[in-house]
Amino acid sequence: MDESRKRVKSDCEELLSRFQTTDSVRFEVFSKIWREMKFSEIFYGTEGREKRTFSQLILDTASRFLLPPFSFQIRVGGLYLLYSLYKCQIASPPEQIRLALKDWEDIKKFEKDAVDAQHLDAVYILRQLMLQKAFHFTAMPTMLAFRKKRKMEKSPLCEEFLERASRPQELINIELLDELSNIHDLYDKLKTSVTSKSEQSSSVNLIRKDLVPQLRSSVVDFYKWQQKKCSKRADRLASIKSKAYGQAAEVCVSRVNTEILFYFHFNK
Amino acid sequence: MAAAKESTDLNANIPDYEYADVNTKAFHIGSFRNEWLKRLKPSSYSYEREDEDTFDANFAKDMGISAETMADLKSVCSVDSLRCHPEDQTPDPDVVPEDPTLKTLIQRKKKQDHKASLKLTKNRHSLYADELERLTFGREPDAVTDIIPEGEVILTINVYYPAIIDKFSYIRPHMTLLMTGSHSLAELRDAICCVSDLQVCGEFSSTPDMAPDFISKDHFKSAFFFFEGVFYNDMRFPECQDISMTTIEWAKARNFPPYSQSKMEDTRFADLTVKVGFPYLYCHQGDCEHLVIITDVRLAHKNDCLDKKLYPLLTHKHRVITKKCTVCHVFIGRWLTTNDPFAPSDPCLFCDKCFRMLHYDAEGIKLGDFLAYPYVDPGAFN
Repeated sequence: MDESRKRVKSDCEELLSRFQTTDSVRFEVFSKIWREMKFSEIFYGTEGREKRTFSQLILDTASRFLLPPFSFQIRVGGLYLLYSLYKCQIASPPEQIRLALKDWEDIKKFEKDAVDAQHLDAVYILRQLMLQKAFHFTAMPTMLAFRKKRKMEKSPLCEEFLERASRPQELINIELLDELSNIHDLYDKLKTSVTSKSEQSSSVNLIRKDLVPQLRSSVVDFYKWQQKKCSKRADRLASIKSKAYGQAAEVCVSRVNTEILFYFHFNK
Repeated sequence: MAAAKESTDLNANIPDYEYADVNTKAFHIGSFRNEWLKRLKPSSYSYEREDEDTFDANFAKDMGISAETMADLKSVCSVDSLRCHPEDQTPDPDVVPEDPTLKTLIQRKKKQDHKASLKLTKNRHSLYADELERLTFGREPDAVTDIIPEGEVILTINVYYPAIIDKFSYIRPHMTLLMTGSHSLAELRDAICCVSDLQVCGEFSSTPDMAPDFISKDHFKSAFFFFEGVFYNDMRFPECQDISMTTIEWAKARNFPPYSQSKMEDTRFADLTVKVGFPYLYCHQGDCEHLVIITDVRLAHKNDCLDKKLYPLLTHKHRVITKKCTVCHVFIGRWLTTNDPFAPSDPCLFCDKCFRMLHYDAEGIKLGDFLAYPYVDPGAFN
């Protein structure tokens, strides 16, 4: 069982990595790859009960790509994959896609991002799945029967698909830095006003003068390092990645804007 | 502080893993259901399907697009765009296509080719499973009042056979039942079939007709479930005893965390606080112990069996090989004899018919000297 799960996962990853290289979130592009790979045939040759168990297996596997920590593009690919698998399965009545309560917020957020960026096809397909009652609203993503493993075997997440950390950039943005330097100035003035000039010694100079520039430069360093790491990791994909990053404006407008603005701000 | 506490309280009934991929933390099933219903539009869990045109119109309005764009979108996203074969051909979905490239298919082809060389007939287990499925899928009730209400929770419960045979420690045979949140634990108890309920204790060679009156189920009615530190006792009948008391007192005397008791018949699944995927206990007949695992909790779906009367719904049952009568080798053994001059072995197993023909005359008078005990085969529920 475990072996077949691995094979299914690697087939899905192959499809999604081809989708990733196209730098697109269009369903047209996805369905073209689907046809090229003849992915509908993945259900062929299952008999009797296997139809059902296999549908369940592949839907469980594919539904992981719809959720974080994967990048927006992969998640859209995951959504298309789920839709296509759901529609092409040969079990009748169809097996449902399991959706866990804890993942609901992520799906809603994903839908909002897609709406904001006007990805009509992604929103349409997600709502179609809802309309067609393709989901089981469950407690957990899979059935659990206390199958403890002797050997913890972690199935690795495909690294290329992961969303890069952007929290530092998001947190320490221009507004925050402005605010910080304002407060810093105010604080400085206050201190000088309460002490006479002669007393201005070490006691009031306890805080760093260059806090704001330092904070700024470390975030910039982090960002550069992240870029470099990515390009090192896969030379082949490096060019595509930077391109993807450039095009990501279309993917998630709000976040990318802050990032880019922020980057320019520091390089002024 | 108060806000922080509130937010943890809010999340307490959103199930999450305690051990990843093994079991969840404990949560309250009724509140879990409410959390889902709070988030979903009623149309999402309704059995009715919204009309396609209404959906399109709403979508176009929502996204602010023209009818033309909407039509384009529909055609781009249609299922036809996923077709992997020419339009005039219809491939046979039962056959793995030639020269597959997908890893799953390459393996399946290998397996199918190997299987074809073996010429096996259909597996007995899958035959039974298919039959069970046919009985239950998408069944709608005859009367409207018997329909499972929309937004009800359905639990999948595995009840394991006691590990009385060595083999059972490895293959974990079990039965799987579907129950709704409004079912009581007593209803689960009644749905569990276990041969130890059917045992007859005693020697009946002189009065074989009396034997069925003495089955254990009618004599020893006490039983309990154990979930999250609470013993749920069956107290429906005057003969029932609180058989959990021994354990509770034992634990108290040894400074274990305290256990409490409750009544099985007064507890609905929606009232329970449990971990999904975690092994609990069902004990009856004094010491017949079954593991019970709730493997899934989810909202009811329109493709489920919606007839309330068919619940608790059996969806899987492990079949045990039965022991046949020594004489006819056709029927399942019902009697076990010892000290038996007619028997080829000691002890020896007979079906009811062979047993009576061999051991009694036409008037039902016992012939010869032997001891006979009723035997219940573990496969009696197949």
